[in-house]
Amino acid sequence: MTIVSDAMDETPPPPFPAPLAGEGQGGGIRLTERQLRARRSRSIAIALALGAFVVVIFLVTLVKLGSNVLTRPM
Amino acid sequence: MSVTLARIEPSIAGVGDYVALLKPRVMSLVVFTALVGLLIAPGHVHPVIALTALLCIAVGAGAAGALNMWYDADIDARMLRTAGRPIPQGRVTPGEAAGFGLTLAVFAVATLGLLVNWVSASLLAFTIAFYVVIYTMWLKRSTPQNIVIGGAAGALPPIIGWAAVTGGVAVEPIVLFLIIFFWTPPHFWALSLYRAEDYARAGIPMLPVVAGEAETRRQIVIYTLILAPLGVAPWFMGFAGALYGIAAIAGGAAMIALALRVRAERHGHVASKQMFGFSILYLFLLFAVLLADRLWGGLAAQAVSHFAA
Repeated sequence: MTIVSDAMDETPPPPFPAPLAGEGQGGGIRLTERQLRARRSRSIAIALALGAFVVVIFLVTLVKLGSNVLTRPM
Repeated sequence: MSVTLARIEPSIAGVGDYVALLKPRVMSLVVFTALVGLLIAPGHVHPVIALTALLCIAVGAGAAGALNMWYDADIDARMLRTAGRPIPQGRVTPGEAAGFGLTLAVFAVATLGLLVNWVSASLLAFTIAFYVVIYTMWLKRSTPQNIVIGGAAGALPPIIGWAAVTGGVAVEPIVLFLIIFFWTPPHFWALSLYRAEDYARAGIPMLPVVAGEAETRRQIVIYTLILAPLGVAPWFMGFAGALYGIAAIAGGAAMIALALRVRAERHGHVASKQMFGFSILYLFLLFAVLLADRLWGGLAAQAVSHFAA
């Protein structure tokens, strides 16, 4: 009984180190407003660049294949 | 065994910082000279393929700029002219710049090779490697001939543009290469004359730092005397018209006059600043008139053949 009570009184160690400034609960990183804005602008730029790359590939495919682009084996 | 994980700050780099890594002003000159090489080349290329080639050359030039800023971050931080760049300012980490530059370089070369041709892609890969490895990593910090030899990287775009159309190299783009190659030393040495302290602080052995102002002014005159006749060569060789010839003679004469003023200047750097500013205009003028000459000549020939038919 005594042994069990002693065990119950002990505070269990936290699973992760206590969060520091700028970190969320559990040690995860919590971004500042500036970091969030920067990440959003970078994400939009990457999306636009990838979209432009797809358009370039599409147009060059049309130019290189010409009317053959519609020719498919039946 | 213990493992220590470095605390990495989330990036605050915005799109503008990544655009700055691409050195947009250098990129615009690269695109312009490549465009001229592309348009004066014989044969026909579909506009979409031509635009793709230019896009790849632009991205490749930007990649070289990003890799240059990655490697030179330490000296950029010590120079007033470059201290505001994204890496010295702490907005972009060197690792981010290196990853960005390498990714763009691989994409630009592979896309140019797959969609246009592998000769131009190989030349683009060589240009990027030359600028980053030969110029940035080796010559820039070790010899006052850094911008003379390194200038070859900036002179190659017209050859890449020509190769994108023809799949090969010829005398005409090599002449354009030589014009940019011999234009680079007087252009940068004029700048380095009034930025010598900046270069000395960063430990870069530019000519005024190592050999002194008098020798630099003498070398500016020598290179300008080689450059001016080279500028007229496209007219002599018959791949540019009289309009280009007149512009090249007038521009070359003005460059020589400015170089002699730089040579004669004893105090201050008024003539050096004028030479630096005018050298940009001179190169732009040569290529713009060559382009206009070719386009006008092509349109005139089309009109003549149309009416003759």
